[in-house]
Amino acid sequence: MTRTLAFTREQLRAPFALALLIAVPALFVAAAAGVLADFARALGGGLAGDAAASLGAGWAAAFIAGSLGFFQAASSRGADRRLALAGAGPGRVAASRILASLALAVVAAAAGFIALQLRADIVHPWHAAAAVLAFALIYLSVGVVIGSVVDGALEGSLAVAFVFLLDVFSGPGMAESPAPYSVSRKAADVLIASGLGEASPGADWLKLGAAVTIALAAALAVFAYSARSRL
Amino acid sequence: MSRVAVAARLGFREQARRPLLLVLLVGLPFFFITRAIANTERLPRLVELPGGGEVLSNMRDIHGADMAAITIAFLAGLVGVFVMQSAREADRRLVVAGFSARQAIAPRLLILAAATSIVLAVSLAVTALSFTPRLWAPFIAGNLLVGLIYGMLGALAGAAVDKLGATYLILFGAMLDLGVVQNPMFGSGAPPAWAPALPGYGAGRVIVDSAFSSEFHAWGELAVGCVWAVALAVAVVVVLGRLVGVAAD
Repeated sequence: MTRTLAFTREQLRAPFALALLIAVPALFVAAAAGVLADFARALGGGLAGDAAASLGAGWAAAFIAGSLGFFQAASSRGADRRLALAGAGPGRVAASRILASLALAVVAAAAGFIALQLRADIVHPWHAAAAVLAFALIYLSVGVVIGSVVDGALEGSLAVAFVFLLDVFSGPGMAESPAPYSVSRKAADVLIASGLGEASPGADWLKLGAAVTIALAAALAVFAYSARSRL
Repeated sequence: MSRVAVAARLGFREQARRPLLLVLLVGLPFFFITRAIANTERLPRLVELPGGGEVLSNMRDIHGADMAAITIAFLAGLVGVFVMQSAREADRRLVVAGFSARQAIAPRLLILAAATSIVLAVSLAVTALSFTPRLWAPFIAGNLLVGLIYGMLGALAGAAVDKLGATYLILFGAMLDLGVVQNPMFGSGAPPAWAPALPGYGAGRVIVDSAFSSEFHAWGELAVGCVWAVALAVAVVVVLGRLVGVAAD
């Protein structure tokens, strides 16, 4: 628990870090909700009702969590190995890292979801909350995986932005037919359905659960690899 | 060789050791501008020009006109963030070693300008493949202003908050300013009454005017953009000078 708190504090110790983690997704949802439907139409997609605002909340949480994941992975390199060698063990260090990342991703997702609730009248709020969280967790993993292979902070941030923008332009709602490589496709399907006032079928939930599980397993594996001894 | 030249050479050598950065600075604009324009439908859209005129265009052309500016703002802003972060760490040592604060920060600003120029050149070249503005010279000037303004905003964000917070500020700030508020694809086709309060207003209006009008009207907006760029440049020099100078005390 102490390690998890320390890893969480590590990302929040800079001035305004927590405020930005909350304010940025909330502001994005409030400002962009009105224009996303027009944007989707221009790209040949379609987002009726509150689906555009819902998708905006998912994207905001996704980008925040992706950057967060990248910087968590970047800061875990070297330091976690020393921590593991000092007696904490790679498994426990990796578990603490992933728990700290999850806690921060939950904060970003909650900020996006609360802004969405204030902005739109969502019929299935729990579905929307789960889908926004799924966006955050999938992108947390994207950021962590990028952080494990890219060294520089600038290159890593650009790589996260690259994956994010690729996903935005090719995902459900924005493209006429979503691309198979859209990593947040299932989260977007559930989120759009909740914005339209529809419940998602069980198959969509299963696929979303599988996507989130794979994403978290990948992030955990990266943290465990970072913490393991090379001796 | 002067100290500034030595530090600049070392700074550029540091960037040259990061081939992925160059790939991303060239590849990202190419990929996103071509993709964004190609994927946009030709839905009719009325655009309000500076000076009060209106022109009937379409969503694809408007996206073509503004996508370069959005991309340049993102990339120049992020480069600004990390150039400043790097300066905070390394340039303090240069000042301790005898460099003046100005000698230490001038190379950083050169690197920021060089990266912005690369992004600007690639973005405009890629835009030219799919969209031709009516007036190239002010279109280039507007996009250059966007790069300078956001590059320096990134540098200030990098000085004020940590990497993570600065990344959030720049990406969402650029998206909201140039991607939403100044973007004629949305709303009435004209920026809202409060849009001039944002840094991208002047440059954004110069871009819109030069993209769709055969006669340039946005002199006032061009002046606004230049004032933003100069004010931010002064702020960056002062803030960065203090950051590296304080360490030497």
